[in-house]
Amino acid sequence: MPYNIAMISDFFFPQPGGVESHIYQLSTKLIDRGHKVIVISHAYEGRTGVRYLTNGLKVYHVPFFVIYRETTFPTVFSFFPVFRNIIIRENIEIVHGHASLSSLCHEAILHARTMGLRTVFTDHSLFGFADAASILTNKLLKFTLSDVDHVICVSHTCKENTVLRASLDPLMVSVIPNAVVAENFRPLSHTSHALDPAAGESRPPPPQPQHLGPHGTITIVVISRLFYNKGTDLLIAAIPRILATHPHVRFIIAGSGPKAIDLEQMLERRSHVLQDRVELLGPVRHEEVRDVMVRGHIYLHPSLTEAFGTVIVEAASCGLYIVCTRVGGIPEVLPPHMTTFAAPEEDDIVRATGEAIGKIRGNRVRTERFHEQVRVMYSWTDVARRTERVYDGISGVLSEEEFYGVESGADTPGARASVSGDDEADANWSATRGRAGVQSFALIDRLKRYYGCGIWAGKLFCLCVVVDYLLWVFLELWAPRAGIDVARDWPKKVKVEKEREGEGARRNVGGGVAVGRKRGGRHREKDRE
Amino acid sequence: MTPLEASSSLRRAIEEPDIHPQIHHRPAASSVSHLRPDVAYHAQSAPRKVRKSGSVGSDGADASAASAVRKKRARDRGRSGSRRRKGTWKKLLWVKQDYPDNHTDEETFLDHLQRNPRLQPYEFWPLVADSTVIVQHVCSVVVFACCFAGIITGRVSPVAVVSWGSIGTVLGWVLWDFWVGQEEAANAAEEGPAELGDDAGTMSSSSSVSAVGAQSKEVQGLAPPSLHSANSSAPQANTGHATGAATFANYAYYPPYGGQASSFSPRNQQRLATAKSAILIYDSIWAISVWLMCINVFFFDYGGGVGAKLVFGLRILNTKANRYFRFPASLSTNAALMASTVLASRLPSTTHVFSLTLFSIEVFGLFPVFRRHLRHISWRGHLALTIFLVTGAGGGVGVTISGGGWRAAIAGVVLGGLLTGLTMGVCSWWLIGLQKYKNEIHGPWDPARPVIRRHWD
Repeated sequence: MPYNIAMISDFFFPQPGGVESHIYQLSTKLIDRGHKVIVISHAYEGRTGVRYLTNGLKVYHVPFFVIYRETTFPTVFSFFPVFRNIIIRENIEIVHGHASLSSLCHEAILHARTMGLRTVFTDHSLFGFADAASILTNKLLKFTLSDVDHVICVSHTCKENTVLRASLDPLMVSVIPNAVVAENFRPLSHTSHALDPAAGESRPPPPQPQHLGPHGTITIVVISRLFYNKGTDLLIAAIPRILATHPHVRFIIAGSGPKAIDLEQMLERRSHVLQDRVELLGPVRHEEVRDVMVRGHIYLHPSLTEAFGTVIVEAASCGLYIVCTRVGGIPEVLPPHMTTFAAPEEDDIVRATGEAIGKIRGNRVRTERFHEQVRVMYSWTDVARRTERVYDGISGVLSEEEFYGVESGADTPGARASVSGDDEADANWSATRGRAGVQSFALIDRLKRYYGCGIWAGKLFCLCVVVDYLLWVFLELWAPRAGIDVARDWPKKVKVEKEREGEGARRNVGGGVAVGRKRGGRHREKDRE
Repeated sequence: MTPLEASSSLRRAIEEPDIHPQIHHRPAASSVSHLRPDVAYHAQSAPRKVRKSGSVGSDGADASAASAVRKKRARDRGRSGSRRRKGTWKKLLWVKQDYPDNHTDEETFLDHLQRNPRLQPYEFWPLVADSTVIVQHVCSVVVFACCFAGIITGRVSPVAVVSWGSIGTVLGWVLWDFWVGQEEAANAAEEGPAELGDDAGTMSSSSSVSAVGAQSKEVQGLAPPSLHSANSSAPQANTGHATGAATFANYAYYPPYGGQASSFSPRNQQRLATAKSAILIYDSIWAISVWLMCINVFFFDYGGGVGAKLVFGLRILNTKANRYFRFPASLSTNAALMASTVLASRLPSTTHVFSLTLFSIEVFGLFPVFRRHLRHISWRGHLALTIFLVTGAGGGVGVTISGGGWRAAIAGVVLGGLLTGLTMGVCSWWLIGLQKYKNEIHGPWDPARPVIRRHWD
């Protein structure tokens, strides 16, 4: 059944980034599947009010006070009036928040539960437990996620992290990875097909493997923001050593950030050896990433933490062999024949890169096949289908047994996520959490869930929830539902109706639409510039 | 696939490192990064009971028991999970699996979780020994306070205080210079044959020198302004006490008031200044100096070594905690010097002020350098200095409180010594007791700490 879904996050276009494009791609694919999707974000500079993106994706830019890196100021209640208005106007049934640093999303989930809506939260990042900032964020996350219907994480490592941070039942956390628009990341040999819209469906002829002689130049590409946690220090330390051991190798580095100065200094200091072998491109736009990637043979990704690592999937889709650090969710992302892993140590990165260079020289990897393989592995259509299953599960379309896959009771596998993991805790879970679409909206049940958050925090959270409830009652009296206009839906395509009939037909049409959509997206982005 | 096959294929999967990189077994390398899964696997502090069955290296009865457990579990799953569950679940994203997205695998879920991996249980005596550093610093602050009390009550001549202080400083400097010279010679001897080591070696020695140099420079740089501020605060104090005790009577240096355009008449301005100084300075001067001394004690860089931190030429880049919660060492020194400046405004003559300021520079600027080096060079010397300082501080407090006499001094020494020893013991014991509440969680989600062999500059 089609749902009315509101995606909520602080992070959305015009700001570029991973979460932003995730929301956009997921929304458009869900619209293709017949749902109604709107996006709620805060107002960006030069972008306020209501906007329509391609395919009738409606975006509300709510005026809000931004404090740091496009994150809004965490006022617990101030978003409620506007939020309620939008929800009623658009007839929303499911509120889907993104990114744990977005306070707008946390507020929205709280208010949505108060209003009796189903909520889903997607976590895109990893957090530690050690430093003060993380402890605070984790406590807030625990607050919000005490009463959420389902959580989506982008990798299994991310799931473990989120389950620990918010003390969730692992069964109410799904892992749905990010995806790439494979058509945007074709290797060089595919360029001709990109121009021909029909080529997306027909299988392209198997491309010729490229041969590199023993003295052919191998290009290593690095595209990342130059931050500490992207491992730029490792990169700076490894580059001279890699170039010293391998004479016919050069680097292309794109990206900007605070560590750019260190990188430039390193190059200057060794300018006589390195200058002509390392090319710094500075910041590149997302549309240009592919054009930079296809210039190389190996993609080096020395990051120190990564929940998913979309960029390595993009690089593999462009036909690059991947060298990356074994951190976070990265080991789950790509099959072993596409990657060489390294420990986050200078020596090991030098070793792994050397190994990769050897493999490329010896023609031991079929990089020309990577694009097709990645295209099959990750697609947004698949992500939308899996997300839809989550929506089905929480709204009770799927039975409890079908969605959670277990009979409730003592046999519950994922013992409680808390580190103690004792058995009595399991029983408590089912007491406060009615599974699968029957999670109670009653205030007293919600308070029970919040109360367990901590000795002081639990009481504080309960207070917030009670105030939120009173605020809702007040709003219902002050601005009654009858007084709020209901917005007209964007006219749906007839094709979409047909698409929903058969499972088999759906895939193909979905693929066809995807090509058109991507085009639209590109034009739109150009217009913005 | 039967349950038996499932379990054996899981076993195979675990044993084939190339196919399943994330469950990859290697003997732990010497430079252990805790993110490496193999380390987590071999860790003894594995959190969950289930982990027993996960240790692949186990053999004999243990292994068979483990496989029995696994078989049973696989059978259970096979029964409940009906038709579409086939194949083993893998912790991978690129494989299309027959399991729902919210499937939680008992075997692998949270198996890289580590609790308190770097926990080093404190031991009592080493902890007490380490606390001497704090005791030394607190005692030197107390000694300074006692000297000030003696000076302001007129019991001790400021010149005597600063003379003794300077003699001690010169002696300490000579010793320190000797030690540094020795160390440099030793370093040079070590590095003579090994050409490669010149980076790290000279870096360590030169950084020790430069650190100390910077500190003394900083102290020198500080001295003139602090003297100056003492001067400029003098007139205010003077106006504040026109009728009271004659303070700074021989100071003929007044900043001109008439220079500023103001609606107040000069006389009113003077009155205003009087009121201000009365409120701001007279009442709160003790409070300010106490606060500043507290800042000095709490932000003092107790852990700071003599610059010999680069041990094996292997640097671990600064961790998050280091980056966020590191206060500059100068904060402590500056606070102490400011406190002494504020206190100096209570003193009656230039000589007094000069002596106190010089003394404070010696105590707070230079003495810590010497103490650090002494601790680095000889533990016995460090202990002796600690005892000496505790004695001095105890005696000083006794004399100051009672108003003189040897008996009071001895009582102060005994009481101070007892109290210090007791405090050290109780605090160490307390800290050890608090350790059981420590619960650090580490896992693959933590940002890795990059290991960089050699700094590239």
